Amino acid sequence: MRPVKVKITYCAECGYETQTLDLAKALMYEFGSRLSGIELIPWDSGTFDVSVDGQLVHSMRREGGFPESDVVKKAVRDRLASPL
Amino acid sequence: MTITKERFESGLTYEAYKEAMSRNRDRVEANEQRVTLDPDTARAFKSLPRPLNVVVLAEDWCGDVIANLPVLGRLADEVGTLNVRIFYRDQNDDLMQRWLNQGKYKSIPVFAFFDEHFRELGHWIERPASVTEMRAKKRSEIFSKNPEYGSPDSPVDALPEDVRTRLQADLQKMRDETTAFANAEVQRELRELVTALPVR
Repeated sequence: MRPVKVKITYCAECGYETQTLDLAKALMYEFGSRLSGIELIPWDSGTFDVSVDGQLVHSMRREGGFPESDVVKKAVRDRLASPL
Repeated sequence: MTITKERFESGLTYEAYKEAMSRNRDRVEANEQRVTLDPDTARAFKSLPRPLNVVVLAEDWCGDVIANLPVLGRLADEVGTLNVRIFYRDQNDDLMQRWLNQGKYKSIPVFAFFDEHFRELGHWIERPASVTEMRAKKRSEIFSKNPEYGSPDSPVDALPEDVRTRLQADLQKMRDETTAFANAEVQRELRELVTALPVR
């Protein structure tokens, strides 16, 4: 099982730090060392994007709003279970 | 729409708001220094027959507050006819619900102008549309001139870190270079708002 990389790009001008940290914390508790890293990328323009090993699993612009942590967790689980 | 005098006076003055800021005070004060007051705007506010009470909704993390509240702060300091009180958006949802952007978005800053009887005369929200349009155009130009940045609509996390860092720097430079225009546009819109007020 190859560890998975999660990236969270959040609008640092919009007060999204709480949602960013809550999601990062949920992923850390759930997956621990099965993650190769969680990268937090401060951005602008109302962004809240989450990608799992390069696959965009949530975009505020595309889906609207913030992701449910269960949706991101499922994406990580699916990636972990996928063949290399 | 009205607000009670007591509620109004429970808000923070501009100086008290800055004192209470948990972050970005340096950016607010830097923007204050960059504001060039427009003489026509200052004249329009100075010629008000009576001072106006201004309710401001803000939060110290918000980029538009950091950019635009200092314009109002400088103007109020210069003209002496604006009595400004600032309220935190997330602690005053009843106020925020009065001035939702397009009826649904909690955009800030809000500058709401009241007469001496606390009757609302007009309000201003977030940033001028002209600033949004200009920055969108310049953002597109940055992407057009730098194919390595990909599409403006693509997730930036797919970019290599060094490329993303250059893009971030280019976008910041663009915002800095358009600040004077943005500050002038905020003043133009506030001048147009105040010159149309029934108190004149």
